[in-house]
Amino acid sequence: MEIKSLVTIRKKIKELEHQLTEAKDTIEAIRMGQIDALVVNSKEGHRLYTLETADVAYRVFIEKMTEGAVSLNSSGTIIYSNSKFASMVESPLAKVIGSTFVDFIAEDERSTFLNVFSKEWTEDGKREISLRARGTKIPVQLSINSLDLDVETSLNIIITDLTFQKSTQKILKEKNEQLEALNEALARSNDDLQQFASVASHDLQEPLRKIQVFSQFLKDRSFGELSDAAKQYVEKIILSANRMKTLIVDILTYSRLSAEESNFESVRLRSICEEIIEDFDLCISEKKAVIELGDLPSVDANKGQLRQVFNNLISNALKFTTPGVHPLITIQAKKINAAELGLSLPEEERYCRVSIKDNGIGFDERYAASIFSLFEKLNPKSSYEGSGIGLAIAKKIIDKHQGIIIAKSNEGAGSEFNIILPLKQ
Amino acid sequence: MRTKKVILVEDDPDDRDLFVIFYSDRKDIDLLPSVRNGIELINYLQNISSEKELPDLIVLDQNMPVMNGKQTLGYLKSNDRFSKIPAVVYSTYADSRLIIECTRLGANMVAVKPIDNDGYQKMMDDFLQVL
Repeated sequence: MEIKSLVTIRKKIKELEHQLTEAKDTIEAIRMGQIDALVVNSKEGHRLYTLETADVAYRVFIEKMTEGAVSLNSSGTIIYSNSKFASMVESPLAKVIGSTFVDFIAEDERSTFLNVFSKEWTEDGKREISLRARGTKIPVQLSINSLDLDVETSLNIIITDLTFQKSTQKILKEKNEQLEALNEALARSNDDLQQFASVASHDLQEPLRKIQVFSQFLKDRSFGELSDAAKQYVEKIILSANRMKTLIVDILTYSRLSAEESNFESVRLRSICEEIIEDFDLCISEKKAVIELGDLPSVDANKGQLRQVFNNLISNALKFTTPGVHPLITIQAKKINAAELGLSLPEEERYCRVSIKDNGIGFDERYAASIFSLFEKLNPKSSYEGSGIGLAIAKKIIDKHQGIIIAKSNEGAGSEFNIILPLKQ
Repeated sequence: MRTKKVILVEDDPDDRDLFVIFYSDRKDIDLLPSVRNGIELINYLQNISSEKELPDLIVLDQNMPVMNGKQTLGYLKSNDRFSKIPAVVYSTYADSRLIIECTRLGANMVAVKPIDNDGYQKMMDDFLQVL
């Protein structure tokens, strides 16, 4: 029993060794290209697999490709072309095969092509060139590979139509040129603005100051000699000159804001407000006004500019008061996040909302947006002084701080300005 | 207290007159004849041989032809003999840039030109304080 089984096992090993040799030979034959077809025994019975199967798949793939594909022999004659290439050069496929490839290159680019053509036989590469189509030139990219076959070496070229890319590039270039021209115009207009600022700062202000000086002179030194009517005229000259001075300075401030660089630092809103209240000390006690300051945070800002914003808003609140009512101004702040503002940001940002509320004359809510425009004045000139630039300056500064300023009011029921600023710049 | 010799450098005749009108009554200053620009000031200073005769204060208008206030200030502060004389700049319009530049050049003060007597008196009081 034991001996018999040993003989059986030896026999089995011999059989397996034979099968292994056969399998190795088959693999070697496949590798050497000596096999045309394989018969495989499967559940569905015997099946025939030929190399042709794979070949057909590649042929279909190349035919259906959206790019042109050709093979050239060593003399540059097209020995294979897919139909896409034939349609690119607008010739029947039968006519394309057998033609010289260089004939399809745009005439003025043929010499260039022939110069580099020889190199591609030894070195694969890509280059851009134009094909000659009926009446026009088609920009294409050639992707060139040489392939050594048993019979001869062939050059395989994939031809990609670049018309779309080229037109996109052209549009892009045009847009860039337009942008450059716009930038130049912008730089010029900025220069003009600076020029204007310099004119406004000296050439306009110097004669204006003379009017102020000499009308004041008239008032201080010769008032007694003037008739009552003349006294009134002098007063009017002084008032008008002062108004004009305010206007010029405010316009200058506004125009300089565009050119000025923002230097942000941590600014304590509370100390800014306290400083401003001190500046308005006289006006506050004259009008018996009360200014209440809530808990105000620190924000990253340009201190001088932010001070200007609060100065303008508090000054307005003290200016547009309801006659017979003690002015009450409350300034409060609350930290909020972007979501509470209805903003969804990739990185969570913290903001603060500052509210400056008064019990003054207010304004018609219809004008809530337009009050931030230059020279927009809702009140008759005679009853309230000012240039009408203060809120425009405030808005421009808040814009530069990536913030928002909103005005709310009901006529006769006070107004409220809300400023939303990022805590960090 | 010794009266201070003050010289005004100013191209505008009205502004030169205003100095005389507002300051000729002041006992604490001795107003020297004005000059019209930086070059005239330098000539004037160079013709003074005795150090005691040099002015105690130079008031420079900013906006002047030939050599403006800043340029004159720059010259004065780089000159061994004149750099010790206190100098101030006054201008119709003074923005932060002018103030910073003049202070950097060594101006003792920068002022906005006043428009009335009170303003002129206060300006001179301020100037004399920094001497």
